[in-house]
This record gives sequence, structure tokens and C-alpha cells, in this order.
Amino acid sequence: MSGVALATRGLVKRYGRRNALDGFTVSVPRGVIMGLVGRNGAGKTTWMMSVAGLLRPTAGEIDLLGRGPFDAAVHAGRVAILPQDSELPLEATPAELLYRYGRLQGLSAAAARKSARDMLAAVNLGDRAGSRIRALSHGMRKRVMLAQCFLGEPELVLLDEPLNGLDPAEQDRMRRFLRARRGRQTIVISSHNLNDIELLCTHVTFVEKGRVVRTSPLTSLTQAAGRVEYVLAEQPADWDAFLAELAAALPGADFARAAGTDASMPAGGAVLACSFDASAVGVADVNRKVLPVLLARAALHAVSPGQSLEQAFLDASGRTSSTSTGIA
Amino acid sequence: MKTLYRIWQNAVGEWTDAIRSRRALVLLLLYLASAACCMYGTISILGRMEAELAQVLQLPESEKTGVVSATLWKSKPFQRMVRAGVRNDLVYNDIAGRHPAELVYAWFAFFCAPLLVVLVAGNRVSDDLRSGAVRYSIVRCTRAEWSLGKYFGQATMIACALAVSAVGAWIVAVCRLSGVGAFELLPAMFGWGLRAWIYSLAWLGIALGLSHVCRSGSRATSLGIFAVVLLAILPPLLRKSVEWTGCAWLENFDLLAPASAKDYLWRRGCAPLAAALCQLGTLGFASLALGYAVFRRRDA
Repeated sequence: MSGVALATRGLVKRYGRRNALDGFTVSVPRGVIMGLVGRNGAGKTTWMMSVAGLLRPTAGEIDLLGRGPFDAAVHAGRVAILPQDSELPLEATPAELLYRYGRLQGLSAAAARKSARDMLAAVNLGDRAGSRIRALSHGMRKRVMLAQCFLGEPELVLLDEPLNGLDPAEQDRMRRFLRARRGRQTIVISSHNLNDIELLCTHVTFVEKGRVVRTSPLTSLTQAAGRVEYVLAEQPADWDAFLAELAAALPGADFARAAGTDASMPAGGAVLACSFDASAVGVADVNRKVLPVLLARAALHAVSPGQSLEQAFLDASGRTSSTSTGIA
Repeated sequence: MKTLYRIWQNAVGEWTDAIRSRRALVLLLLYLASAACCMYGTISILGRMEAELAQVLQLPESEKTGVVSATLWKSKPFQRMVRAGVRNDLVYNDIAGRHPAELVYAWFAFFCAPLLVVLVAGNRVSDDLRSGAVRYSIVRCTRAEWSLGKYFGQATMIACALAVSAVGAWIVAVCRLSGVGAFELLPAMFGWGLRAWIYSLAWLGIALGLSHVCRSGSRATSLGIFAVVLLAILPPLLRKSVEWTGCAWLENFDLLAPASAKDYLWRRGCAPLAAALCQLGTLGFASLALGYAVFRRRDA
């Protein structure tokens, strides 16, 4: 897959005197999973809905799959969306609803039936295929909504808060399902949960006040800062000597004990932060020099290269760090 | 072909939802009960009148209602009264030979159709706009295909409901009226059902057109009821306006009211029926198109 799946240039959506989108310009390469990160009201949902033709933008350009703005006659079956706050028809059953949607987007009867069955199995709803939507729990309905997005393998899928309302087991299942689509489909995910974005996405776009403040591959965003965090399973006996030994192993780098933010850090453990000049040395070089010293002195629990996505977002939006892992 | 297919798929969705939600059942029962009650009530009143008349004239009372009425219906003074009431000789000539039961059902169907259509179909689009369910469909088909699917889906359900109501009214008429040729009356009843369906097409267009511009089902239904009342008083208002102002062209606005096509619907033959279909179909689609024009430009 190569080229651009979706591009918007100077997209503006005005509600009265307020601009929900204020010149939103972004380009999504084919085959990537792009995460949209921004606080409430930043314009993520408005952008997605505009791209899918559900909202009428005030100004700007949209190019979907190289065929201009959304046109059902052109894009039906090639673009799908999980819209926020949209109920499914309550009286239908998941099986018949997905079949109907499949037929509507141009699948043959057999293909629509198969796709509906496969998608219901993928979201673990095979046993509730004949229940009415009205009788399903909120999380189950969300899974049906997710399933309809992947009917007939559309080229571009827009997911607005896809994992909200799912229990941890289903979240994990959906993460694996979405990760398996890397390279096959272009997926754009809007989420407040930065952990999900880090786990799922290959690219990230930060959105603030209806504009893109930064967009880049996830790795370059988190590793560009020249920082690696080592989560230690136990504290070294002498921190000062330990830090001095590390500084000698990697001259020019700063080593410091950091506040522990890793939820998986064992009791009695600690976090060691290494800051270095990313333009002069890479993460791999740092690890090669630091790890032997570190392993001789302490038990290593985990290595977290680069800064967190949260820190990157806060840096990009010019704010200070908070202790929460989500964005309020 | 793809467009027709998508319209069909949306119409199928409309039927499935109606059947599953029992809305279709309610619609059928509503039409059936209204038609049967109307026929029953009318025959009961006729029966009481005939009993009074038999008592006054010291005639033996017949077991079934309708003997006296049928004679009365054919009498010249009564026919003169009907002619004066109808105010259209062509219509009078066409209905003069018909059985009264047919006319009772026809009156019911024409009278109730607007309200029933507005009550049943008035919220079909606005409810989907409010809940957001429309979003799942309009990324898969055009908004026009979705709207037309709704229209045809509802139109088909109303056709079924009218057919059932015709059968209900026919059963009551056959059981309670004398001198009714059961197998002659049924096709005639279906004929009136068809005419009422054509009449409903205009009201359906108006109801769904209004539904396209509202995000609340109750508001759309209220607007629909308001439209029924407004369009009911429009023709007499226009006639008065013409009398007062002398501007004869004002009467042309009469065509905006579906009731203005009723004279065609009361008549026999295909030509008046085709004329009614043209007028009411145009009115219905124009109303739907106006609502759709708003929907096409708005956020879904």
C-alpha cells in the first residue's frame, strides 16, 4: 500500500461564531493506523464526521482515497465510520442489520451474509446474532457498531472512541483485532486513552482548537526527545554510586531517578530516566552502553524508550504534565 | 439499477423495523378497527333510522339494515339532495349507482387517511435523525436513496393497511347490511382503498417532508397535524378570499391541498384516477423534495 488514503486541507466547520474546525490540515498515508489525540472539543469528532460526509464543512478540501470529498455513489463500501453517540436501529438484530448494511454497500447476498457472520464472530457476538439490539448491553451494542465498520473490508475506517464502554477483556480483543489490520486497511482512531493510541497506532496527530498541532509517526514522536526510562524491579543499594557509574558508561547523558508512573512497576521498584542528545546517539546505542552496567547493579523490569505520548502531547500543546495517563 | 436497489434495501429496512417493532401491526389494527367501527357505526345509525321510519309508516321491520336505505338511496328526492351536496354533476353521476356501503368506506378512507398517515409516518425520518441511526445508512447510500426508501417503505405499508381496512369494512357490511352482493362489494372496496392510497401518497410526502426538517419525532408529528388542519381549511379560505378580493387566481392555490384532487378520486374510470395520481403524486414528491432539500444540506 502506498499513497495517501485521506487528506484534508484547511478544513473549517463553523457553528455560529465558533469554529469547531479551524483550518484542519492533515494527510493520512495508506495502510497506517492514525491516532487522533486532543482534549474535549478539540475538533476530532467534527473532523471525522466531516470526512465521512455526515457534517457539511464550511470551507476547505477533503480528498478521500483520491476521489474527492465523500460521495456515497463513489465511496460506499470503501469508507466506514463508527460515529459517536449514534444509536443503531433498536428493533433489528445484529445479524440482519449487518447483512442489510452489507447489501446496502454493494456486497452480494452471500458475501454480505458471510461478512456479517465473520464480523460478529470477531467482536465475540456470534451467540447474540439473533437478539434484538434493544436487548443488548451498551458494550455489546458498541461491538455491533464496531463490526459494521469492517463489513466488506473498507479501505478507510474512521473510529471515534472505539473502545469506550467495552470491558477490559473485550478491549483487549478489539485491540488485537485492530492491530491485525495494520497495513491492510487505513484506520483513524480518535481516543482520549493515550495508552490505547500507543498500543494501536503507527501515526499520531495532535489536535488543538480545531487545528493539527503536530502529526508524525508514533516512534519518532516518542523517541525524538532523547529519553529512555528503565523500570527497575528493586532499588540499587547506593543510588549516587550507581548514577556515577552510568554517567561514566555514557558520557554526555543525564541519569536521574524519576517519579514512577509505570502501573506495572513492582513494589519496591524504581524508575531510572536517561536523557541524551537524540541527534548524536540513538536509543539502541544508549541501551548497549547502559544495560550492562544497569544489569550488574539491579534487576531490570522494563525498558520504555522515549517520552510518553502524554508528555509529547502536553509538549505539543504547550502545557505542563499531569499525573493522569488520560486527557481530561 | 444500483440506485433502485439501494432504495429497495432501505424500504426493506423500513418494513423489517416496522414488523419487529410491531408498528406495522399497530398500523394494520388501527386501520382495520377504524374502518370496521366506522362501517358498524354508520350501519347502526341507519338501522335506528330505518326502525323509526318503519314505526312511523307502520311497516314490518326487516331483520337486516339497508332495505329502506337502499330504497331511499334510489329515491329522486334523496338523489337531488346528494347532487346538491356533491356540487359536481360528474362526480354525482359516478357515485349515484354505487352501493352506500362503498361510499361509507370511501368517506372513511379519505377522511382518516391524512391523520393516520401523519400519526404513523410523521416521525420516521426525524427519529432516525435524532438517534443518529441515519449515519450508518448514509455512508452506504446517498441521502436521496435513503429518503426515497423511507417513502416507498411507508407507502407500501399504508397500502397494506388500507387493503386490510377494506376487508374489515366489507365483512361488517356483508354481515349487517341486506342486499349486499358480497363478491361485487369486495373489489369495489379495494378500488376505494386504492383511491385512498393514492390520496395518502400526497399526505405521506407532506408528513415525511416535514419529518426531514425536524430532529424530534413529536415535533414532526405535531407539524404534520398542523399541516392537515391548515390544508383542510385552505380551500374554503381561498374561496372566501376570491369572494372578498375578486382575485380569481387565488383559487389556483387550491391545488396545494390534496383534497382538491378528491373530485377525481370519487369518479369512475382510469382517466380521473390517472389525473389524481399525477396531482397527488406530484404534491407528495414535491413536499418530500422540499424536506429532502433541507436534509441534503444539513448535518446528519
